[in-house]
Amino acid sequence: MSFLADTNLWSNVPVGEHLFLFSPMIVLVCTMLAVVAFPIVLGRSAAVTATIVKLGVITAFILAIRVAGQVTDGGVSGLSTSPLAGLLIADNLAAGFQIILLVFLGAVTLLWLIGSASSEENSPEFFILLLGSALGMLCMTATSNLLMIVLAIELASLPSYAIVGFNKRDRLGAEASLKYMIFGAVCAAIMLYGVSLIYGLVGSLRFEDVAEYTVSQMVSGQNRLLLSVALLCFFAGVGFKISAVPFHFWCPDAFEGAKIEVTTWLSVASKAAGLILLARLVVILCSAVDYPIEMSLVQPIAWGLGIIAAVTCTVGNFSAYMQKSVKRMLAYSSIAHAGYMMMATAVFLHPSTKGYEAGLTALFVYIVIYLVMNLGAFGVTALVSWETGSDKIEAFVGLMRRGPWLAVPMVICLVSLVGLPPLAGFMGKWWILVALGKLESNLGWFLVIVAVVNTLISLYYYLRVIVAMILKDDGQPVIHASLGGVAMVNICGIVVLALFFLQGSLKTTSERFTRDLYQAATNQDDSHRLAWKDL
Amino acid sequence: MDHLLSWIIFVPTLGAILCLFVPKRQVRVVAVTASLAALILSLLLFPTFLGGGEGAAGYSGSHYGELHHVERHEWITGSNLAIEYFLGIDGLGFPLLILTTLVAFLACLASWNMESWKVGKGIRAYFVLFLLLETGMLGVFVSLDFFLFYIFWEVMLLPMYFLIGVWGGERREYAAIKFFLFTLGGSVLMLVALVAMYFYSDGALASEMQRTGADAVASGYRDGVALTHGTFDLIELATNKVIQGHFNAASTVFLGLKFSTCMFMFLFIGFAIKLPVVPFHTWLPDAHVQAPTPVSMILAGVLLKMGGYGFLRLCYPIFPTGGETWAFLLAVIGIVSILYGALCAMAQTDFKKLVAYSSVSHMGYVLLGIAVMTEAGFQGAMFQMIAHGISSPMCFFLVGVVYDRAHHREINRFGGLWMTMPRYGTLATIGFFASLGLPGLCGFIGEVWVILGTFAAKDNPAMPWAPTMAVLAASAVVLTAGYILWLIRRVYLGREREEYQSFPDVSARETMILVPMAVLSIALGIFPMQTVFNFTNGTLDNMLRHVVQVIGLVP
Repeated sequence: MSFLADTNLWSNVPVGEHLFLFSPMIVLVCTMLAVVAFPIVLGRSAAVTATIVKLGVITAFILAIRVAGQVTDGGVSGLSTSPLAGLLIADNLAAGFQIILLVFLGAVTLLWLIGSASSEENSPEFFILLLGSALGMLCMTATSNLLMIVLAIELASLPSYAIVGFNKRDRLGAEASLKYMIFGAVCAAIMLYGVSLIYGLVGSLRFEDVAEYTVSQMVSGQNRLLLSVALLCFFAGVGFKISAVPFHFWCPDAFEGAKIEVTTWLSVASKAAGLILLARLVVILCSAVDYPIEMSLVQPIAWGLGIIAAVTCTVGNFSAYMQKSVKRMLAYSSIAHAGYMMMATAVFLHPSTKGYEAGLTALFVYIVIYLVMNLGAFGVTALVSWETGSDKIEAFVGLMRRGPWLAVPMVICLVSLVGLPPLAGFMGKWWILVALGKLESNLGWFLVIVAVVNTLISLYYYLRVIVAMILKDDGQPVIHASLGGVAMVNICGIVVLALFFLQGSLKTTSERFTRDLYQAATNQDDSHRLAWKDL
Repeated sequence: MDHLLSWIIFVPTLGAILCLFVPKRQVRVVAVTASLAALILSLLLFPTFLGGGEGAAGYSGSHYGELHHVERHEWITGSNLAIEYFLGIDGLGFPLLILTTLVAFLACLASWNMESWKVGKGIRAYFVLFLLLETGMLGVFVSLDFFLFYIFWEVMLLPMYFLIGVWGGERREYAAIKFFLFTLGGSVLMLVALVAMYFYSDGALASEMQRTGADAVASGYRDGVALTHGTFDLIELATNKVIQGHFNAASTVFLGLKFSTCMFMFLFIGFAIKLPVVPFHTWLPDAHVQAPTPVSMILAGVLLKMGGYGFLRLCYPIFPTGGETWAFLLAVIGIVSILYGALCAMAQTDFKKLVAYSSVSHMGYVLLGIAVMTEAGFQGAMFQMIAHGISSPMCFFLVGVVYDRAHHREINRFGGLWMTMPRYGTLATIGFFASLGLPGLCGFIGEVWVILGTFAAKDNPAMPWAPTMAVLAASAVVLTAGYILWLIRRVYLGREREEYQSFPDVSARETMILVPMAVLSIALGIFPMQTVFNFTNGTLDNMLRHVVQVIGLVP
């Protein structure tokens, strides 16, 4: 067995400790297998699938919490034959995101159980796809390796295409799925092209190397153009996941055509994962910048991100104006919110440590809050549309009388989406504004103004739903929504209210989960950074 | 440290929570009790201010920093950002706080017998929202942390929106949305200023610490306290020399514009929308006309005052140079509001709309008085706010009384109501004459003080236009007299009309609401010192001295 010794393969096989850090992902894979395997024995039924999925998600969730407790500062990169090219990273950020995503996965599963379980014949297939995309998103947030990024984005996207058009007989869904897939395929192709160019130039798949190469190139000037094109192509793939303008066209169609629980899932999870990935990449890129002279590299990136963010949220908000379907309106609103969150990534370009910390924490806080309030809004929309068969705004007319337990949480969630105190949505915006303010530069103030003006723009279309629910009544029958669904949306409403007052703890938690990244990025000579880079 | 202010603010909230659980019939009782409790608690503040008022320990700033009943806790901290739960009261907030609890209590009484209750339309929701609104309003007047101020400011929006939108008149939806969009439009600009002021103050302190080598900067008005990071403390922002120097320096820029000029404008627009002044006033007639009577009372009596309060608490003490830069524009806007509001009021045939436009006109005096930055101007503006806070809810309620009976508000269809309803006619005359500014009633003092203050500004070399403005403002009094007297002639005088013969005179409840306001209108007119000026002038003069000093220091 001499070749083993030569390649030093065995010494790099992940040890149990490291494997444990990735256990939530492994559990998800096992659940996917179980979802296929068990029906063969027990028969195909939604109940069997649901039980397995519930067990799987809960187990993964418990493990994720334990992982978050055990993960070391600086994190571990592993699952690789070479310690220098870790494919997956287990650090605080990935661990924190895992918890959030699994909670959300559980909520979406619950929504599916309430609304679609009874009519669904192909439940195992549905969950393979759903869990598959969840796994992809987890991987997206836990890597800085180009190969893994491409794989993860594809793993998250491919099931999403299918799940959007899951009901074959639904023409709208099929159309949406096709659009989504064509758009996704083009973006994936562009991204792969970019990655191959990058690999050709740099000779490494680690994004840290790419960042360092970029910095040196930008200074000395060779291959500048080629590298810029390659990086732009690469970021197109990331932009697609975030649905940043101009990669947002798939978003409203896919969201409208898909079943509402799928829309809920995609609207939050895929964007959140994309944003975390973007944040990680931008931080790595900027942390490679050592000398003041190289700040000339940082400025254009910051402005580029900032302007894309500003355009994204403005386009999202204006497009939401005339929508008749609440689902589609929420889809556009999710584009706008992606814009707000992207603003936080523009903050990383601050020359001192302050920028990273404030920006990352703001992003994390916003993701948590956005998840809850969007879940509430989509949950009510789902419950109303299952009862009335329509997600048009007319179906909401008089909801205050027809179902006050739906109308009140809907108002809370919508007002929170606008971003008014005393609701959590305001604090989400607030921390982003603070992070932008910390830049103390024109870019920061420009984005602050864009963000607050967008708040004003968004008020009107959210208010239309509130007006329909509360100020109008055309005598439609009372809605008898299922108890579970009502409980879920009301919990969302209460959490949205409570998170405003519990800002301190939410912020502290977010700081804990994001500290790896900003510490690694800012302490150039610190041991943390070494640990993170070289493990 | 006492908790009196917290109690005043949150007693209505407690009432609102209680309203959720008591049986429907008791909701009104709970709501009235809660607002009465807030009123009584706020009256407990009087001894502090009557006794000459020693400031709270540790807040001994000689200029504009003396506070009472201070309550201060850390609220949200982290990333060097300290947001405090900081309540305190001085001569600026005190009369407005009393006004708020009083008007809210009277409006609560006025809500007792609304038409909607007969069809059982949302009595519980109404009072819950009403009490939450009261909490928001009270919070604005006593919170001295800008962040907290902003939260309370925004908390008012949604209840007000629903109060107009659900219980309002025929075009309530339009009016409510317009109100919401306008006000939020103003407050988003305030949000920009909120963030910017924090980081600019942070920057100012940081560079000062670098310059002196010390690791903290002494507070401008608190004994033995030093600052290391930026602050949201509204008094600190105004009194700290380091921060003031940085804020008002010409070299401090925000997006290429002079910082103080820019921030002053952001804040000004936010408050001007609320005040409201031309051209931001268009939401007001709609909102007033559509809102139910008690909500109109609140709107006119309290919400409009927040604009003026905002000028005096934020714009001028913190950005004096901004005030100087914009003085002419502001004075012009003030004059235009006075004249335009009065002319519009004259053209109205809708009773309520007339009163609404008269508010625009009266609030123009507030802006004018503040814009000229003289002692009499500031005092007059403050007095005008209080006086209008008493007379305009009274007028709105008077309109409401007649609307309840006649179910229309066409001025030209009325006549001879004084004969039909003698008690009502008497009270109405007091109310409208107070609004007119008849000497001996409350409206007079404010207007005269503002006009005198504007004249006095002629000594200021930067304001050669002041006498002209004063003349214009004084001549507008004729317009005011015109529309009010014409109104009284058409509605209350003349021959009795048959269709109104059967109207009962004001009931005991209605009298109970009108009499306090009538008494106060007379009291304020005869004893302006004892009722208002003695409480407010100390703070206002200190503030003005500070403003003038900063303008003098900064070239």
